[in-house]
This record gives sequence, C-alpha cells and structure tokens, in this order.
Amino acid sequence: MRLMDSAKQPVTTLAGSYGHPVHPALVAVPIGAWIGSFVFDVASRIVADGHVLAEGSRWLIGLGVLGAVGAALAGFLDLVAIPPGTRAFRIAIAHMSINLIVTGLFGVGFALRGGSADRVGWGPLVLSAVALAGLGVGGWLGGTLAFRYGVRVADEATQRTGYVRAGSTEEDA
Amino acid sequence: MAVTALITWLVTATGGFVMLAGWIGRGGHRPGSSGRLSPTMVFTHLLLAAAGLVVWIIYVAADADALAWVAFVLLLPVALLGFTMFARWLGSRRTSAAPESRFPMPVVLGHGLFAAVTLVLVLLTAVGVGE
Repeated sequence: MRLMDSAKQPVTTLAGSYGHPVHPALVAVPIGAWIGSFVFDVASRIVADGHVLAEGSRWLIGLGVLGAVGAALAGFLDLVAIPPGTRAFRIAIAHMSINLIVTGLFGVGFALRGGSADRVGWGPLVLSAVALAGLGVGGWLGGTLAFRYGVRVADEATQRTGYVRAGSTEEDA
Repeated sequence: MAVTALITWLVTATGGFVMLAGWIGRGGHRPGSSGRLSPTMVFTHLLLAAAGLVVWIIYVAADADALAWVAFVLLLPVALLGFTMFARWLGSRRTSAAPESRFPMPVVLGHGLFAAVTLVLVLLTAVGVGE
C-alpha cells in the first residue's frame, strides 16, 4: 500500500468506515459548545441579569471539554494511520498539540468559573477568546489534513463514482 | 478511596500507553502485521478505559453516586478485553516477529495488577464501603 493510501484507511472500524471518519463529526461538539459559550459570555455582560447565561456558559465549556476528549480519542486513531516522517504526520502532531492545549485552557476556564456570578468576568472571557483563537489555528490544520492531504478521505477512484450521470460512463465523470 | 482509585487508574493508563506506543511503533496497527492483537480490540480497550476514567474524574469532582456505577460497568468489558489480550500476548511470546512480543514483562504485569486494584477500588467505592 502506498503511504498516502494508508492514511485513507481506518485503523479500526472504531475510527469510522472507509470514507466516513468519526473524528471530523465529533469535533462539531466542542467547536459548537465553545463558540456558544463565548456568545453567552459576551451576552452575560450585556443583559440586565446575566446569571443564567454565565451558568449556561460554564456548562457549555464542560460539554465542550467532554466532546473534545471524545474527538481527541477518535483523532488519535486517525493520527496513527498517517505514516510517520511525512509532512502530513508533522501537521497532524501540530494539530493535536494545539487542540490539546486549547482543551486544557477551557478546562482551566471551567475551574476558574466555579461559584455563581451575575456575569462572566474579563479574565475568563479573555481566556476563552485566546482558546478560541487557538481552536481556529488547530481547526485550520485539521482542514489542511482532510482537504489538502486527504487524510481519511476516500481515494479519487471512489470520488469519481459520485459524478457518473445516468447514461454516461465513469470515464466522463 | 475514590482518589486512590483515580491514582491507580492513572498508573494503569501510563503502563497501557507505554505498551501502546511500543505496539504502534512496531506497526502493530498496520494491515499485514504479524501480531495477534487486533486494532479493534486494542482501541476498544483504550476508548472504554479512557471513557471510564473521564467518568471517574467527574465522579471524584461532583460526587454523584450513579457515576461510580457507570465507571464500574465501563470497566467490565475493559477487563475482559485486557484478559483476552493478555492471553494472546502470552501466546505471542513464542513468535518474536509479533509487535507485542517485545512488551516488557514488568509493564504487562504491573498494568494488569494496577488494573485489578483499580477495578476492586471502583467497586468498593460504588457499593459505599468506608463511607
């Protein structure tokens, strides 16, 4: 098997079937939860009684951390599918490291926010903003792995079968 | 007791990661590997154990009794898979080509021992011994 093809194959079905990786689906949970949390943070400083939003924001951070741990485990399965010593592998290591740091930052944010507050303080809010910026960088690298280097993406012969019109041949696709 | 279980769990996990690193480093997860441990078996063991650890950390922090039982139930298939892999590892030691045949004996035995202690501590905590 060529090096590139081995990164397309799931190491185990736990990582999803061929062409249907689990990791990119799971990352939607932390990304959505953490962005929602940040919106709650800002809103808690705008509305008259921000207590509920501040509390909800902390729950969203916790949900995001749990989702990130799940996504990280699935991502680890895709990482070990990539042949070491390649550019794709180095990017994958950077992608993993940045996102683990981001998850750690949100974990710290969760701990800092203990107790009830009427609104989210500037400290935790800035921490979340920094973590979200890191998430953007980590996510960009993840996009590079999937859409530029095709990690866990089905090969082109498989892709071509999606472009065959009725009455035409696979060569036209 | 819950914190002791957390510590023995983390020690167990460290041993597991040492073996995992060696196994992946020798291509145990690649198609065509001569090993006797299937990637699905290894990674199911890892995923369930990690999920249980997360549940246990939340239990220690939040002290919700039901979570202790959830963690214990998660550990049962983990233990079953662990014993299965241990048996296969014993068999693999005769064929030096298998990636798992190089696992250091103290790591394998230590991992199993700490895992057993963790399982017992989790059960005792769940049933409320020492409260």
